[in-house]
Amino acid sequence: MFRMNLIKILLLAAFVLGGMSLYAEQPIRILDKTGEPISYALVQIGNKKPIPVNAEGEIDLSTILAEDQVLIFALGYETKVLSGKECHNQNQIILEEKESSLEEVVVSATRTDRSIADLPMPVTVLSQEKIQQTGGIRLSEVLREQTGLQISSDHGAGLQMQGLDSEYILILLDGEPLIGRTAGTFNLDRISVSNIERIEILRGPSSAIYGSEAMAGVINIITKSGSQPKTANLGFRSRTFNSWNPFVELGIQQKDWQVDVLYDYFQTDGFDLTPDVVGQTQNPYQGQTAQMKVRGQLSDKFELSLFGRGYIESARAEMEVNSSSPESSQIVTENSLRDWNFNPTLRFKPNENWLFSLRGMSSWYATLADSRYKSSGENFDFQDFNQFYHRTELQTDYQANEKNLFTLGLGQITETVEATRYKGKNRFDAGYLFLQHQWNPSKKVNVVSGLRADLHSEYGGRISPKISAQYKFSKAFSAQASIGSGFKAPDFRQLLLNFNNAAAGYYVFGSLLAEEGIANLQSQGLISQVLIRPESLGALKAETSWAINGGFRWNPDPRLKIQVNAFRNQIENLIETAPIARLTSGQNVFSYFNIQSVITQGVEVDLGYTFRENIRFNAGYAFLDTRDLDALDQIDGGQVFKRNEQNITSLVTRSDYGGLFNRSRHSGNLKISYQEYLTGINFSLRGIYRGRFGFGDLNGNLILDDESEYAKGWMSMNFTASKQFDNGIFLEVGGTNLLNTSTPNQPNNPGRMLFAGIQVPLFNK
Amino acid sequence: MKTILKTFIIPAIAIALFSCNDDKETEPIVVLEATLVADLAAPNDVIDRATGQVIETRPFQYFSLEQNQIVSESDDWDLAFKGTTVRVNSGKGASAAIVTGIFDQIIEIPASATFAQDTESEFAIPTGGGNGWYNYNSSTNTITPIPGRVVLVKTSAGNYTKIEILSYYKGNPPVASIDPFTTPSAHYTFRYILQPDGTQKF
Repeated sequence: MFRMNLIKILLLAAFVLGGMSLYAEQPIRILDKTGEPISYALVQIGNKKPIPVNAEGEIDLSTILAEDQVLIFALGYETKVLSGKECHNQNQIILEEKESSLEEVVVSATRTDRSIADLPMPVTVLSQEKIQQTGGIRLSEVLREQTGLQISSDHGAGLQMQGLDSEYILILLDGEPLIGRTAGTFNLDRISVSNIERIEILRGPSSAIYGSEAMAGVINIITKSGSQPKTANLGFRSRTFNSWNPFVELGIQQKDWQVDVLYDYFQTDGFDLTPDVVGQTQNPYQGQTAQMKVRGQLSDKFELSLFGRGYIESARAEMEVNSSSPESSQIVTENSLRDWNFNPTLRFKPNENWLFSLRGMSSWYATLADSRYKSSGENFDFQDFNQFYHRTELQTDYQANEKNLFTLGLGQITETVEATRYKGKNRFDAGYLFLQHQWNPSKKVNVVSGLRADLHSEYGGRISPKISAQYKFSKAFSAQASIGSGFKAPDFRQLLLNFNNAAAGYYVFGSLLAEEGIANLQSQGLISQVLIRPESLGALKAETSWAINGGFRWNPDPRLKIQVNAFRNQIENLIETAPIARLTSGQNVFSYFNIQSVITQGVEVDLGYTFRENIRFNAGYAFLDTRDLDALDQIDGGQVFKRNEQNITSLVTRSDYGGLFNRSRHSGNLKISYQEYLTGINFSLRGIYRGRFGFGDLNGNLILDDESEYAKGWMSMNFTASKQFDNGIFLEVGGTNLLNTSTPNQPNNPGRMLFAGIQVPLFNK
Repeated sequence: MKTILKTFIIPAIAIALFSCNDDKETEPIVVLEATLVADLAAPNDVIDRATGQVIETRPFQYFSLEQNQIVSESDDWDLAFKGTTVRVNSGKGASAAIVTGIFDQIIEIPASATFAQDTESEFAIPTGGGNGWYNYNSSTNTITPIPGRVVLVKTSAGNYTKIEILSYYKGNPPVASIDPFTTPSAHYTFRYILQPDGTQKF
């Protein structure tokens, strides 16, 4: 009922808006390959307004001149260009079906090439067009416009997915993990979008193939590979806050070899939301990315690819500290970051059924923060951090028959870290094995099951299973469900931290160092009481989760796409700090424990409607519910109180409890894109809504339970206009947060920003 | 199910308690007024950031609940403040307990309260975030009194007192306006009721 009415209404609207011009005599029919009329095709004559065909796919073209150029197009079909003469000579035109966007290949979900339509788990792919529409320069600016994703500001721009923080999301670059996190956050501003071809967003735990960190989901960034013999593109983008981003892309293809090079420079003056306080909200910084990809066919069975990337960032920060004299209160910090990746891959395909991929992956990540007194230049604080990560992996894919594809992976990881806050050089070793079976018992059913075993030198073993299944009820409707386990290994900080906050007088020891640290302090006579014997702590376990995801994809009409996914993540053994000993000074010694349990659940809906070939609507909505089970226990036990500004204390009840901080219960987006035919300009207008969220505790009980602890919901209106000229030059202008909505509790929102950019292809042949 | 039961039981008990109270109030009682102490400055030792060595030792601030003023160490003080640490005068027989509840509704010393004295190894009012009177918010680096924590003190004179610490920052500012780096800390604002007749009722 609903479906029919909706279609009728929209069709009617299409006709009214399109301006009907139908004549009865000698119409031309627009058909698909099977001879069915395409009722929503459009015909454009010269530079005139496109005209829709009627419900039978008919249009009268008898009045056009022989020399007119006629463009015939329809959603999902290849556009046809004919001359007026050609049109006069026929009474029907057949359009070829376009390779549907559902045929889009996704790599990250199964580590094999698989089209979205065949994936039984929730996956979204952002095409280059969608990335370009955001006008974003850094990765966070693209992801923040997607349904169910939020960018939080905690030691960098961290992603939030399914209500879980950045530390539980694996970030891949061309399929290989990126390392380098501060307090768990992977700063998405480290990634430039200038040469991203597409982004795969995989929701739900994927530890069954990726191991640690892939608890909430996986983001796979796929960089461009030129497909022409010679490519050279120059780009330049500029925007508010003296930010500019020149880049150059080069590509050469010869015989069986392809080389792609990128250099990208970004700099910004940053911004300041609190001008009365010393130090900016975002510090000025500059980042440089250089990347090179080499891919070649060694023989018809061997393929070699080499990937190298370097990223250098430097930033300057100022702050004020409590001090007896004003001269010694101003501190300047010079920060630098270096990130190098080198990933060689050798693929061997002896025949149609077997594929062996041997991958090496090495990453070096280093940060340095040198803080000095502004007046004297004397040292105030110095921190450095050096991490090395190496992985060797052999993946074997075996297509046993049409219905069964098996994947076996074997890998080894070596990781070392050296830092001011860690003692000596530390090394971890791990090995893993994963098995995956992709099974298509019939055309309607497909099942992906997987299991991964990780063995780690510090936290022991972990088995992560996952099974996903899809049933295609019809070509238009399919349902997916999956259940899987995710985990996140204790990180360096939690295992190795050897930190003495000298000013405040407390110590924090990683779980591996707690025993030794306590013994040391005891021998110095600094411990007054041991609260928990460190030897009784046992090894810190990995944080683990079980998650279910279920939803459907429905195309009630070729122009309407609906995708729904509901999820529930139950996370156990979350790692927190707690005191283990008391110092004679009255301060404490802290270490890390597996204590917390958290639930995140919700539903995400995406709806896309192509009103006409040149007008598209997208709407997204995400509902999110989160809760800390230990906080709820305390509330139920009558242990939690709150105090208002009049100093009246009251008991906190379940109805006061707002879940985890920095989670929006409601969020969504509404996007309209429109291509103006006469000028060829693409317009894209997006409203991105983030519902209210708890920004921090204000009444001393550390949980979210009071109106004053919420930041108001806000809407960011973003607009981009772009045009691709016939000579290949691409121009864009636009702005983000055009309404200039100020949100003091969202430090990554600077207010209105305007941008302009140009890309010039020097030669693409 | 269990949680639902609990949410119903708690108000039920509270109502029962109040109604009992109303019935009993036949004899005239002296209404005790709460005393507010604002901005009791008790700065911590000065510590060298780099080495952790104490550069300058600062004294405890000794406070007499009976006299409502800062006194000297040799006087009959009850509580001593320095930084986040609060000591009780065990030498003169003072002791303290921490209970959870609403200040105004604690009308007598609960049976569950266990009074302790400071010892070499342990303070009656435990230090550390979440243990004693304050929470440490690690994301904002602020120290805030835990709502619902009431410190019960038996003074050196033997009288019972209930204390609610309201702020650790100068001027008792709203938490939202505290800047941990620049707002002067170690300024205690608290209110207390001392029962001078030696009974356990407030």
